[in-house]
Amino acid sequence: MSRSTHKKEYEIAIIGQPNVGKSTLFNILTGRRAHVANWPGVTVEVHEGETEFDGYKIKLVDLPGIYGFSTLSLEERIARNYILSGRPDAVIVLVDSLNPERTMYLAIQALEMTGKVVIGFTKSDAAHAHGIHINYDLISKRLGVPVIPVSAATLRGIRSLLRAAIDVARGKAGRRKPLRIDYGELEPHVSSIESILRGFEERLEYPIRWMALRLLEGDDDLYKYVKGVCGEAVAEEIQRIREEVRRIFHRDPAELLARKRFEYLRKILGDAIVRLAIKRGRFEGFTRLFYRPFIGPILSIAILLGMFMIAFTINTGFPLNILLDSLGMHGAASAVEEYSIGGLMEKLFSWISGWIINTFGESWLTDLIANGIISGVGSVLIFLPLIMIVSLFLAILEDSGIAPRMAVSLHGPLSKIGVSGHAIFPMTMSLGCNVPAILATRAIPSRSERLRLLITLPFIPCQARLVVILAFASSLVSGYGALLVVLGYAVAFLAFALVNKVLYMLEKRKTGRKEPELVLELPPIHRPLGRVIWWHVWDSSKHFLKKAGTIIFALSIILWFMINVSPSLALTDNPAESIAAGFAHFLSPIVYPIGISPGKAWIVAFALLVGFIAKEAVIETLTILTGTASAQQALALLGLTVPQLAALTVFVVLYVPCIATLAVIYSESRSIKHTLATIALMLSIAYVAMLITYGLSLIL
Amino acid sequence: MSTPRQITLEQMPSGSRGRVVEIIGRGGWIYRLYQMGLTPGVTVDVVMNIGRGPIIIRVMGVEIAIGRGIARRIIVEPINP
Repeated sequence: MSRSTHKKEYEIAIIGQPNVGKSTLFNILTGRRAHVANWPGVTVEVHEGETEFDGYKIKLVDLPGIYGFSTLSLEERIARNYILSGRPDAVIVLVDSLNPERTMYLAIQALEMTGKVVIGFTKSDAAHAHGIHINYDLISKRLGVPVIPVSAATLRGIRSLLRAAIDVARGKAGRRKPLRIDYGELEPHVSSIESILRGFEERLEYPIRWMALRLLEGDDDLYKYVKGVCGEAVAEEIQRIREEVRRIFHRDPAELLARKRFEYLRKILGDAIVRLAIKRGRFEGFTRLFYRPFIGPILSIAILLGMFMIAFTINTGFPLNILLDSLGMHGAASAVEEYSIGGLMEKLFSWISGWIINTFGESWLTDLIANGIISGVGSVLIFLPLIMIVSLFLAILEDSGIAPRMAVSLHGPLSKIGVSGHAIFPMTMSLGCNVPAILATRAIPSRSERLRLLITLPFIPCQARLVVILAFASSLVSGYGALLVVLGYAVAFLAFALVNKVLYMLEKRKTGRKEPELVLELPPIHRPLGRVIWWHVWDSSKHFLKKAGTIIFALSIILWFMINVSPSLALTDNPAESIAAGFAHFLSPIVYPIGISPGKAWIVAFALLVGFIAKEAVIETLTILTGTASAQQALALLGLTVPQLAALTVFVVLYVPCIATLAVIYSESRSIKHTLATIALMLSIAYVAMLITYGLSLIL
Repeated sequence: MSTPRQITLEQMPSGSRGRVVEIIGRGGWIYRLYQMGLTPGVTVDVVMNIGRGPIIIRVMGVEIAIGRGIARRIIVEPINP
């Protein structure tokens, strides 16, 4: 590719192994105009950001965190294809100063593909504290590319890194040709493949030497490519050479090549890195606790429970209000509830609604705005603080390095239901919202485990469902209310565990697969960067606000019309004459078995139908349809008994995730069958559980 | 000289050190181990192995948690301090 030195715009890629601090640095370089991700797997999408430097426009492309360039995972494939495409004018490879020997592996693999590389040593401020001294110039001289120490904490080296990348892009620095590592006794075999490929040089898009190495390593993607371009015979010949290597050395060629690369790295880094003292982290004792039996899982669960208790209390007053109530402190309990963020926001929204109607008079339009849109969007916005608090805690756990330890501690208990410790991240997120939880399953290495989680994660009640449970609970005397909340969560986790277990057993019988496996890097525990934490919080809030502003907004309007317009398209004050009622009468038989009379069943049925779109709307629908002001009044008017409420709670918790979650399940599994199966499974389990709950609570 | 004793990583006690001799098996996870620096010839320190749950090892300065099933397929030669 010809490179113009007059070009003023460059595309620069950033790659690095997980935990080297890549996302943080990318955000600093771009001035925070892209998503940062530290929950494993969130950076699967490629992010782009723009910046200007020295009069050059730079497009920065943040590739997913990867360990190498095999085609093991989608991330590796994306990164590799992008670098080989020739699009990036320079590639910044980030290396962890605290673990250069390991994390440089990616850098030399990149160098084998292209010479247009800059190596950035991250966390350079911490290296000294750990007694690690690195001779950057020596490494740079040996590899022939710029090597720059940087720090996200002190912002040292950021400008030098960009300058070096521009120099490489302009052809003023970097290597002209990819790095050539001497693979010793493997060389004859590598050159045999090279000479075969050379016969097709003009038709092959990638560097010959690199292709030969990757083919020897057993790269299936590349093998298929070569088979397509050069024909069956050539592919077979390459396969034969690979088998020959395996026979001669009694080793997997992939292993031999990996060892050679690490040997080469030792030569490059050996005298360029001096370790004065190996200092163990301050938190060593604390982290060890996570690995202990009993203590580890208990500690992890305590952290998660504590986190949600605090978040829920700040937001809704629950469970502190119920606790105070049961201690006889009723005044304090209602104060906690009233002055929780949710309580205050609720007041604010009802004040705005009242103000609009008072100021502009009662008309269908003010009713639509006040009772349709504001109460609809408001009932969802109430969750924003909760989402912010939960994502704050999750970000702290992840960025500090505690999260992967929790995964290790819970791997044992979780493998009993067929999932690995990796699953704890999506499970925890599910308690907040199912949508990011399902995206987080991307970090799970086992595909079958991931598919099982896509089906089962929606059983874990998100905050929207919590609100429904809380509203139901509020209509009961306090003792029963608390019990109802416990029932909701217990049933949900039971369903999650049982369905996982059953799916796992079925799979085991079919494929004979053994226990779930775990391979997880445990980065050193450190104090999280405030900036990074804030990015997390802001990103999840933004996502949520977008949802409230679009889906919920539209839904509120549709809902208002369905409730206020009769089938003959005339405005009506009586919901029982509305389109919604006409529609819901078809569905009402589903709640007959739990003894709800036909006159009221349609209201419940319609609320459940709306809950299919967004769970938080169940309560809103109930209050609007009964013409009451609160869930408490609505439920009183419907005259639901305790067993009926218990049965409905169980159904709401289990029946089907919201539309947004279903959309992600579809986009992640790319299978309509899978998505429909999830719906069918959840509906039938929810229905059966509802009937069982009703039956049992009648007996009790 | 007798050949050095070879055991699996799963059998290595906490605080012990060994050299990886071989990793048995094929498939995706083996590449991941290579990429993480766990190749034959490398020295591993067992940070924690309590007989159940994942084994915590240190390879090239990085702590890694490894499930027992995979640990059973990593053949190690113990190094006596």
